[in-house]
Amino acid sequence: MPQASSISVLVVDDQLTMRALIRNALQQIGFKDIREAPDGEEALKNLLAKPANLVISDFNMPKMDGLALLRAVRSHPPIRQTAFVMLTGRADRELVQRAVQFGVNNYCVKPFTVQGLREKIEQVFGQLT
Amino acid sequence: MTQISHNDDPERAIKVHVTQGESHVTADPQVVMTTVLGSCIAACIRDPHAGVGGMNHFLLPEGDGRGGGDAVRYGAYAMELLINDLLKKGARRERLEAKIFGGAKLFDGLSDVGASNSAFAERFLRDEGIPIVSSSTGGVSARRVEFWPTSGRVRQRLVAVDNAPQDVRRPTPPPMPAASSGDVDLF
Repeated sequence: MPQASSISVLVVDDQLTMRALIRNALQQIGFKDIREAPDGEEALKNLLAKPANLVISDFNMPKMDGLALLRAVRSHPPIRQTAFVMLTGRADRELVQRAVQFGVNNYCVKPFTVQGLREKIEQVFGQLT
Repeated sequence: MTQISHNDDPERAIKVHVTQGESHVTADPQVVMTTVLGSCIAACIRDPHAGVGGMNHFLLPEGDGRGGGDAVRYGAYAMELLINDLLKKGARRERLEAKIFGGAKLFDGLSDVGASNSAFAERFLRDEGIPIVSSSTGGVSARRVEFWPTSGRVRQRLVAVDNAPQDVRRPTPPPMPAASSGDVDLF
């Protein structure tokens, strides 16, 4: 079983409040190595400079949205294998389907609970300790 | 003589009523958004330059709007929906300005849900760098609010608790999502 504390995470959201809430939830699950980016463009630069094991990304963002970030990650060989969880709204069924086509690992519907986010991550990494 | 603009003319205004859990955004100067608030909050946010504005209406599912709990995640999502819709219609984040209303304490009790709701909205907007240009929160009366999103004008009337609609006197907090919060079964 993987340890949450050994998995590095990049949180991507244009809202500072939402990034803080996701960070808080991740810390409750046991993650320690957590970085943040305010949009897809910054996130891609961040990942190319220092890869992460997991990206948790919002969809609606300026400059580069979550779907474009997902495509960019999958097209850059050094970071292609990064696990990618997309945060979506309730009405985003079409977005989820497109994200699946582009290789998303899982998605989580906002507003999420800590347990809900944990389950989505565990569906990718297995049960976390 | 006072000139009456189209959207002040009751015959020509398009009224959009925003109920709890909803948000609405428009660039149509004919539109007037209306809502009735008790302990709920309505955030009226607009980009004056782009001429686009919108209103949401939410109640945190739990009393405490502080910290990183489920209530805050729900409230942040309600605000995010409104802001994202504004950006999609051409608003720019750095030009947004807000007016907030509601958060009354309609009944005596141990917890002041309205105060938690308004504290959350104020903190969220401050953290996101969106200035609150005016507000009317707290008190013991319900509020009828009309918002002209393109001009930013707001008209508010206080309503005695006994005259407020039933759903305003006793709003039902939204349920938090189940732990497994996906509704598209693809995995």
